[in-house]
Amino acid sequence: MSLLALTALWFVPIFIAWLWRPRQAAGPSALALLIAFGALGAWVLWFGLYAQSDEPAGFAIWKPTILYWTLAAIMIAAPLFGWGYPVKIIVGAYFALSNREWRWINLGFATVYTVMGGVNLWVASESSYKDWVGFKYACMMNLLIIVLFRLNFVWLPLLIEDVSVKLYRRASAAYRYLASLF
Amino acid sequence: MPSVVRKPEHTVELIWARGRSEQVTLDATGKSGGAGEIFSIAGKPGFLAKLYHAATSQEHLDRYRRKIQWMVDYQPALPQVPAEYQDIVQLAWPEGLILRQSRFVGFAMRKIAFDRTLELDYLLNRRQSAQEGFDADYGKLVTVSFNLASIINSLHEKRIAIVDLKPMNVKVYKESLYVSILDCDGFHIDADEFRSDAPQVTPEYLAPEFHDKAVAHPEAQDRFALATIIFRLLNYGIHPFTGVAADHSNYPPELAGRIKQGLYPYGRVANTRVRQVPASVHEAFPDNLRELFDRAFASSAYSRPSAHEWIDALAFYANKQSGQMSLCSHGHLRFSGRPCPTCMRDALIEGAEVRRRSFLARLQTAPARTLKYVQKTLRHTHSSPFQAALAQAQLAAVQLAPPARISTRNAIALEILWIAGLLITYWWTK
Repeated sequence: MSLLALTALWFVPIFIAWLWRPRQAAGPSALALLIAFGALGAWVLWFGLYAQSDEPAGFAIWKPTILYWTLAAIMIAAPLFGWGYPVKIIVGAYFALSNREWRWINLGFATVYTVMGGVNLWVASESSYKDWVGFKYACMMNLLIIVLFRLNFVWLPLLIEDVSVKLYRRASAAYRYLASLF
Repeated sequence: MPSVVRKPEHTVELIWARGRSEQVTLDATGKSGGAGEIFSIAGKPGFLAKLYHAATSQEHLDRYRRKIQWMVDYQPALPQVPAEYQDIVQLAWPEGLILRQSRFVGFAMRKIAFDRTLELDYLLNRRQSAQEGFDADYGKLVTVSFNLASIINSLHEKRIAIVDLKPMNVKVYKESLYVSILDCDGFHIDADEFRSDAPQVTPEYLAPEFHDKAVAHPEAQDRFALATIIFRLLNYGIHPFTGVAADHSNYPPELAGRIKQGLYPYGRVANTRVRQVPASVHEAFPDNLRELFDRAFASSAYSRPSAHEWIDALAFYANKQSGQMSLCSHGHLRFSGRPCPTCMRDALIEGAEVRRRSFLARLQTAPARTLKYVQKTLRHTHSSPFQAALAQAQLAAVQLAPPARISTRNAIALEILWIAGLLITYWWTK
């Protein structure tokens, strides 16, 4: 595929997203995540498509850690500046939770990302390259969980008219009804 | 009556050891190997002919001819067999050259009675050997091992080595337990007047020092292969380098790689990198045999036991009068003073069978148990407080926020950003 086609492949969807973006102002934590992902994405595109040279030697080992610690830093810093909880953007505001619950979930995610960034470096230094690659791919399960989450709560309801959400909401009512029968 | 028309190329000249020659006719048996095809010889039911494939180059044929000529002239002295077993063929050794139009094409050898023998491979699996009409017990297996070591020792005394020694190339007489070795034209010969290499090897029986290089010491290679075959015979077919990785370091998936790295788990000193398979019964072997196995697989090539050492060690057990083998309480032959390997194996298999049946029973009753669990949950009749708490927790519903009222275009824009975010995450973690 030519460089022009590859450029169109990422530019067109982003341009459409820009044109069709919601007009209300985005929260500061959402903006922080957007800027971080924009920077990381620019790095990927630059070294994947346009740069003449490869990424710096040995940088591959640091890549997962940079991602995890960037996310952790945003999650820790945003509540301190009063920007809200970035975890709401990552998990999605599908659950009606109190601020106290969101705070703990945010802290939980920040802790997990911090630890995972450190564990990545530890595995890279203490284990063989093969084991580190295995660990890295195991960490991709996180991505799968997020995809399944969004599949269940966003894409599936959009496709089948909220059936799963409605069923989920009616589960407790159905349980109460069944319990009354016995 | 229709007469059998033989192709003229099936009439060949057979030259015996002392130069006597005769015209014979060959009939195809339908059997062929890597080097040649096997024919029966009309009028000579005790012999077979092996003709090299037509594609064999003249250079190779010349080399084969020199080797076969030497083999025909120098028959090795083999272990003595009792008078009633004189028809036993211990080696499919070349006995005459076969020429077609004065051109060497193959050789004649004694015929091994395939109906009275079975491949040694079959003895590695008790069920297979039983299907072949051979009830293997430890007395018979020790005797077969002894007879195999005896033949190899006879060859080594003449500086002849098999090199590609493996169970497939060995036949066992079901009644007398004598063994017969096939493919003799592939042997390594290092006599004073003649020398010939044996390039063919099988990685699963190849000594560690010869992996990725030529076999420089054929007798050392035979010693390794012999120990491997004896180990497998006595241990229900388990290869001495079959094991379970003890850690997550690079454990070779193939036997050849494990042999090369010396990952032998059945030594008297445990190997830190590999564990024995649970089905192994090597603990039931006597100490002197275990020492020989350790020297064969866990030591350097220089201390590897010779075929003669195996003869010395196995002779005691192969001799019924020695009392070195006795019956266990279940009537199985075992090494005296050691646990019964057959009972050990039966217990292992029985244990596995009990676990399998228990698992199947639990699987079959799972729907009924699930239904009972649901009923107890609905009726609040769980007897265990833990299960009651678990049942309550499972049904505690999480409140969902009302769906956001946004336009389809806005939703698509947000999803594009989401997918881009996931892709970026993927790229950074891959």
